[in-house]
Formats: sequence, structure tokens, C-alpha cells
Amino acid sequence: MRQKECVAMLLAGGQGSRLGVLTEKIAKPAVSFGGKYRMIDFSLSNCVNSGIDTVGVLVQYKPTLLNRYLGTGAAWDLDASWGGVHILPPFATQTGGEWYEGTADAIYHNIDFIDEYNPEYVLILSGDHLYQMDYNLMLDFHKLMGADLTVAVKTVPWEEASRFGIMSVDDEMRITRFSEKPKEPDSNLASMGIYIFTWSTLRAALLADHNDPDSENDFGKNIIPALLGQGKNLFAYVFSGYWKDVGTIPSYYSTQIELLDPNAPFKVHDTRMHILSNLNEHAPSFIGPEGQVEHSMVCNGCQILGRVENSILSPGVSVGAGAVVRDSILLPDSTVGDGAVVERTILNERSSIAPGAVVGTADKITVVGDSSTMEV
Amino acid sequence: MNRTIGLVTTNYSLGDFGVLTAERPEAAVPFGGRYRLMDFALSNMVNARIHTVGLITPYYYRSIMDHVGAGKEWGLDRKDGGLYILPGTVYGFRETDGAFLFRDFIHNERFFRQGDGDYILVSSGTLAANIDYLPMISRHELSGDHVTLLCRKTREEDRHAGYFLTVSDTGRVTAITPGDQGDYCFLDSFIIERSFLLRLMRDFDSLGRMDFMEILRMVLPDVHVGTYTFDGYVAPMKTAGDYLRASMDLQDPGIRGELFTRDRQILTKIHDAPPALYAEGSRVRNSIVASGCVIEGSVENCVIFRSVRIEKGVCLKNCVVMDKCVIHSGARLENVICDRYVTISPDTVICGTAQTPCVLPKGGVI
Repeated sequence: MRQKECVAMLLAGGQGSRLGVLTEKIAKPAVSFGGKYRMIDFSLSNCVNSGIDTVGVLVQYKPTLLNRYLGTGAAWDLDASWGGVHILPPFATQTGGEWYEGTADAIYHNIDFIDEYNPEYVLILSGDHLYQMDYNLMLDFHKLMGADLTVAVKTVPWEEASRFGIMSVDDEMRITRFSEKPKEPDSNLASMGIYIFTWSTLRAALLADHNDPDSENDFGKNIIPALLGQGKNLFAYVFSGYWKDVGTIPSYYSTQIELLDPNAPFKVHDTRMHILSNLNEHAPSFIGPEGQVEHSMVCNGCQILGRVENSILSPGVSVGAGAVVRDSILLPDSTVGDGAVVERTILNERSSIAPGAVVGTADKITVVGDSSTMEV
Repeated sequence: MNRTIGLVTTNYSLGDFGVLTAERPEAAVPFGGRYRLMDFALSNMVNARIHTVGLITPYYYRSIMDHVGAGKEWGLDRKDGGLYILPGTVYGFRETDGAFLFRDFIHNERFFRQGDGDYILVSSGTLAANIDYLPMISRHELSGDHVTLLCRKTREEDRHAGYFLTVSDTGRVTAITPGDQGDYCFLDSFIIERSFLLRLMRDFDSLGRMDFMEILRMVLPDVHVGTYTFDGYVAPMKTAGDYLRASMDLQDPGIRGELFTRDRQILTKIHDAPPALYAEGSRVRNSIVASGCVIEGSVENCVIFRSVRIEKGVCLKNCVVMDKCVIHSGARLENVICDRYVTISPDTVICGTAQTPCVLPKGGVI
């Protein structure tokens, strides 16, 4: 039977409720990031750059924009004749329909999809992490160790370890214990939520998990402890590069503003790891006669007639004459009226600030919601 | 059903762009920060819901093919119709005696024969304008004319070698005159009835070396030729000075808005560059800047293409800097056009004039 070595399953159904208005209308992986990207671009680009050409994207919460954005997958060169991007929403069956009840449940409902490709390995990813990673190296490690499951981990400072899912390992990196947010951690290797499973092992585990009425159908809470309990071969793969889970407004804000630092660990201007996106249809931007841009990133399609400092402008943003934008992130097609002052503010997509309005202060982050207009 | 198919010619040049066209046809000249001239013709066709487009290539078609590929960006990678690459018959990069060499049509007769379009919309690949062709197509369909020529009332900037039209009160073209003056200026685009074109190909098979407009002049007394007037912005493209002026025109919000309206987008090959990065201390005024650039210096009245690096202490005025150029620290350029991949050494000073800009060839190290 025809076979794909590795199929990626990208969990993109989460609401990301901690991002508030930014995910009021769209799923977290569809949230704009770093100017011209959406969060899902980083994981998708990693897949392409790692030679993985088959990606199932599990959607559930507000998927319209995400579906449209993914399209055929052509923007990431993922429009393969056998493989490519597949959008996998919950579906009805002869016995009724169910929502995806957890991360493992979402994969369980798509066992048939994975079986179609008859893969040796399945890579589980999240659609909301900022990182550049060659999954092949992790897959090589998985094969070398003869693992049933390899969990990508990152060394975190000891004092922060109790905020993460922590993997305890022996000398060969074999996972001996997994503890979710331990009060007294005995390891500082945090799970990145990136797993490579040998498909036969995962398949059996998903079936067993589905039949357990007490399970929450979650990889971290149920599948990994169950496999550990069965004495399967679980290994930790240490990733030393930059990785950020952008889950809250403060981290969403600060990880982006950090991109402006010439010494930023995450380099969007690094041409070796090409980050692909699907926001490309704009004309180049225009800086007006009185415009001024410093220490900022500006995408195509912007018109800047005022002053922009230490900010990120996504495609199609307009900054009016005499306006000042400082320490802010302006998402696609947002507008700042003439003479307005915007400080330390995240301006959601298509929202606009009326002329002369003053929004935000230097001491806290302000978020302006979707399609809403701030009046003076 | 769409009854019109398109044809874009990219193998001639009526202007003198110097080194900008030394290694590429005029239709492939980069323009506006991320486009090539032929993007306008291709996009105008697609925006008029034309799904079958033939592209007549120059003899050296590498740069054209590199750009259009399978036509994906224009939605022309289709099962039904799509992009057809039609080999041109002009040796070298371009024909200089006319826009539509009749032999190019004759050699690609199959393209005109096999399609199901009743009309063929023809455009020069160098026509840099955002044209809504739908009313022109309707006009042609309703008129029953053999040909509808795109034109405008002659303006000062049109007074250079080309074709000029005399139009009767009823809108009929009564004379087509080569030269540099006349009431109406032909804008290098027309719609022709397919059966009429096939008849001309049969009747004038031996006159392939002539331009289509010359053939049309010969038969004009016996056929119905109408006009459609386009009053919008057309970028003047005859000399390097024109090119610089057209680039500067983009700073005008009206012209920029018209050329790049979101309603009828100009599409181009996507490179997926990261956002442009403006460093601390950079000064950019009245300029067009594309993605992927890293700017540390000072830029005024310029068009900066994708992934250009402008180092500290650089001062650029009235320049066009194409993709992937590197301007090293302390350099000062005024009225200069840098073709792609140009490197300017530190502290270099180069000045041209607005009428005769200094044009630096592709890949040059200065």
C-alpha cells in the first residue's frame, strides 16, 4: 500500500480565550502576527521546510477565516496531488455528530484520514507557537531511539518550571515521569506540545482512550500518562532554538515587539528558513511627505502620513496625517485617523481610530476590538 | 459564458530604456516596487473575467517565463482555458518597428482557432494602466464592429512615434496615421472579432513582416473600426526619464489609488518577503517601499523594491532601486535608477538628472 512516512496533524481548533477580542471572531491560529503572518504560518512553514507535505488541520472554533486563509495550501506549496493541506472539521456520522472534545479526541475522529496515508509516524503540532524547527531532526531521533512517542521539550528556568508540563528523564533521555504543572518539579524540561508518535502505537492508544469514559481525551492529561503506564518507549527531544507559546495578550504583544530588536532570537529576515504566508496581494507601502517611520516593521499596502515608532504595521494599514503611533501593533486593514495618538495598543483587524482620538497609555497594553471604532 | 479571450505581446519595445532593457524585454521591466510592466496587461485581462490568455514571448523568454510561470498568481493555471505561451518570431529581445508583428499572430494561428472566444482582446505588455475592460468589451459586442481600438484624446505626453486616429462624428475610425500627432492617440490595445482576424491571417499571409496596425490601415475603408476612450492614468514609458517620472507619479495618492485599486488588483509573482524593517534613525519621506527591505539611511522621493538594504548614512533622492540592491553606508544617489542586484560601495556619490537619470545595470558593483 502506498505510504507517507510522516503525516502532520495540526491542532487549530482552540479558541484562545486569553486573547480576548482578538479571537472574538477568528480561531487563535488565524490571529495576525508579526505583520504579514498569521500564527499558523510558523508551524505550516516548518512542515514545508522539513519536507512534510501532508498536513491535517483540525478546526472547530470560528474556522471561517482560517479555512479561507489556508485555501488549497498553495501559499505554502502544500497543494500536492497526494497530500497537501486538509481542513478537518468535526462531522456528522450515521450515529450522530460530535464536537472534538479534546486534543486526542480530535485525532481519534480522523483516524480514517490518517489511515488513508498509511503513515509510519504522526507528528502532532499546535497552530499557535512561534518557532523555527526542522522536524526531520526530531524524526531522526525518534527512529534512532526506536521510540513509540517522542516529545519535544525545552529547557526552562527552574523557577518557571511549575507553569509547564514537565518531563523527567533518565540519562538516555527516556521519559520516566510526566507531571502537569508540578509544584515541586524534579526536571526543567517543559513539553512544547509537539509530539511524534509511531502511528500504530498512537492508533491503539486513541481507541483505548475513546473507550475510557473517565478520560478527558487530552494528549497531556491522558494519552502520555497511559503510554507511560504501559511501559512504552517515550523519549524527550531537547530543542535548543527559540520557541514561544503566544497564549496571552502580554506575551502576544511582547514577542512581536521583540522582533524589532536587531538581535532578536527569532529572525523573520533570515532567508534560510523561509516563513511563508498568504497575505501577499498588496501594492508596496507609501510613506508620505510628512511621514516618519523608525524602528518599525511595515508590510505592503500601508499608507503612512504620520509618525510611526517602535511598531508593527500589518498589510493594508493606514496612518493619517499628523497621527502618532508608538509601541503599537496594528493588525491588517486597521486605520488610524488624522491627528490621532495611539500608544502601546493592539489595533485589531479592520478596526479604526477616529481622527484626533487618543488611545492607550505607556504603562499598559490597550486592545481595540474588531470592526469597532473608538470615538473621541 | 465569456466570449472574449486575451492576447498580450511582450516582445517589442518602442522606447529607449538603455540598460534596463539590455537583458530583458520592455514588458519585463520592473515597476512600482514589486511589479513588472506586463502585470498590468495580464491583470487587466483577468479582472475583465478573461480566463484564456495567450502570451507572445520574445526570443529570449527566460525573464518572462520566470515571472509568469503557469499563471498561478493571475488565476490562469486552469483546466478550462488558462495561460498559453506563444513563441514570438522576433529574434533578440524585441521588435522595434511596431507593437503587434503580424507574423507572431500567423505563427500562433492554432491559439486563435482552437479557443471558443468570439473576440480577442489584445494588449501590449508594456501598457502600464489599470483599465476596466468590461465596458470596452460590451461596447464592442453591441457595436458589431470588426475592431475596437483603445485610445484617448491626444495629450502633450502622447506626442511621440505611434499611431494616431481620426474619428468621425459617429465614432468610426476614418484614418489611422503613423507619426507623432493626430486627434486621438492609439493606446496599444484593441478588441478584434476572431473570424475577422482569421480572415486577415489568410488574406495577408505573405505580409507577416508587417505590423497588425499597417494591415488594418490597408483594409480600413472596407471594415468597421470603432474606438473606446480610456481617460485614466497611463504611465508614460518611452525613455529612462519617462520611467523615472512614472515611478515618481506613484507618490501621487490619486494615481497610486487608481493604478493599485483594491477593486481591480494588479497581480504579480509572489516572493513572500518579510515586512520591511525601518531601523532607529532611518528617515523615509514621500516614497514607495516594498517588503523585505532593511532601511537604516535616508530616503526621499524614491521607489524601493523588495529586499533592498540601505545602510546608515546613505542618502537617496529621486531614485528607483530595484530588488536586492545593497547601498552601503555613506553613499549619496540622486536621480539614479539601480537595476536589480546592484551594489553601491561606501561613500559613492552618483547624480543624474530628472530628464536623464543615471541607470546602473543589473548586478553592477559601483
